[in-house]
Amino acid sequence: MAGQVRKKVDTKQIDKIIKSYDKSEESLLAILQDFQRSFQYVPEEGMKRLSKYMGVPESKIYAMGTFYKALSLTPRGRHTCKVCMGTACHLKGAGQILETIERELKVKRNSTTEDQRFTVESVNCVGACAMAPVVVVDEDYSGHVRQSKVMDILDKYK
Amino acid sequence: MEKITITIDGKTVEAIKDQPVLMAAKENGIDIPALCHHPELENSGGSCRVCLVEAIQGGRSRIVTSCNYPVRKGLEIRTDTEQVRNIRKGVIELLLCRVPDSEVIQNLAAKYGIKEPRFFTDEGESDRNKCIACSLCTQVCEDVVGVSAISMQNRGRDKAPGTPYHKDSSVCIGCGACAYACPTNAISMKDEKGVRKIWGKKFKMVACSVCGKPYIPEAQVNWIVRTTGKERSFFDKCPDHR
Ligand code: SF4
Ligand code: FES
Ligand code: FES
Repeated sequence: MAGQVRKKVDTKQIDKIIKSYDKSEESLLAILQDFQRSFQYVPEEGMKRLSKYMGVPESKIYAMGTFYKALSLTPRGRHTCKVCMGTACHLKGAGQILETIERELKVKRNSTTEDQRFTVESVNCVGACAMAPVVVVDEDYSGHVRQSKVMDILDKYK
Repeated sequence: MEKITITIDGKTVEAIKDQPVLMAAKENGIDIPALCHHPELENSGGSCRVCLVEAIQGGRSRIVTSCNYPVRKGLEIRTDTEQVRNIRKGVIELLLCRVPDSEVIQNLAAKYGIKEPRFFTDEGESDRNKCIACSLCTQVCEDVVGVSAISMQNRGRDKAPGTPYHKDSSVCIGCGACAYACPTNAISMKDEKGVRKIWGKKFKMVACSVCGKPYIPEAQVNWIVRTTGKERSFFDKCPDHR
């Protein structure tokens, strides 16, 4: 993705993760999740090495990597900021909130800021409609979010 | 193989127990449209849903996909009632919205009297072009060719076949089996001046020593020689001149 700093991935770390699991197809998803946790994404080199080690075609591992929402093929930010765009939140002005975030962080929805601080996503109903509009940063829910206050919430995350 | 009799469109026909209704119908000259089923591929079918028929068994009627519905004793099948035609028409209309550029779907739609789909169409999304995401191509590559160069990527609306990272595959042998299997001709394969291009990669072709026509990718020959132990000289001539 344009403007994103691609750090060279640590192949030692990749191999360490792979070797800590059983050599079985059942470990594939867990290993991909570990990649995601360690690198904030699933690196291409990781899929290649995993494919070799397990004797599973790379195409199959790639299919898994693109199927699960918890996995990302491009580096994600240190924090995830989800703006609920479900019906209730939408009616309560979630659109403006998202636009404010996009403008202030100079980022488009469903992508990551250049400094890798935030990945901003628009999501559908997070199940807290009573406190619409809702913004979720990492695991923290904020309700009744006002457009003028949303950046104060994000400021707490470095 | 246990032979039993079933009824299709009022005719009593012989069929093999557990074979797909679609095949039983075909063997008896009854045509049901079907896109995503391949008799050689065990896991194929069940995706395009144009092969829907009415199945009546034990007094209960259900609409089922004939390509993976097993023939059983006492089964009665109706392939061409108004209800079946209507449901099938709906399915085809949705497919047309999804891949408006596919001639195969256009023709099928015309046969069912669909002129313009009533819904939003996905025009201009060239990435997916004519693909209905049935996964026949990836199944052929895995189960018949044994290479697994491509897989179904992403999910939902974005599901589509491809090589990892859309890069030149390191394992594809250029055999073209995926392109032949595709029911909507969505996979582009071009043979030009002794070079085949498929999935963005170029493959040098071997020419027939008699007619001089390049007919098989070198990579495919290497693969067959390596996996089956066949003599390399066997491929000097094309099938027409062997
Ligand atoms: S051309 Fe490549 S991707 Fe297609 S079936 Fe052959 S090996 Fe698989
Ligand atoms: S619509 Fe936002 S929480 Fe339900
Ligand atoms: S042929 Fe039966 S669902 Fe596609």
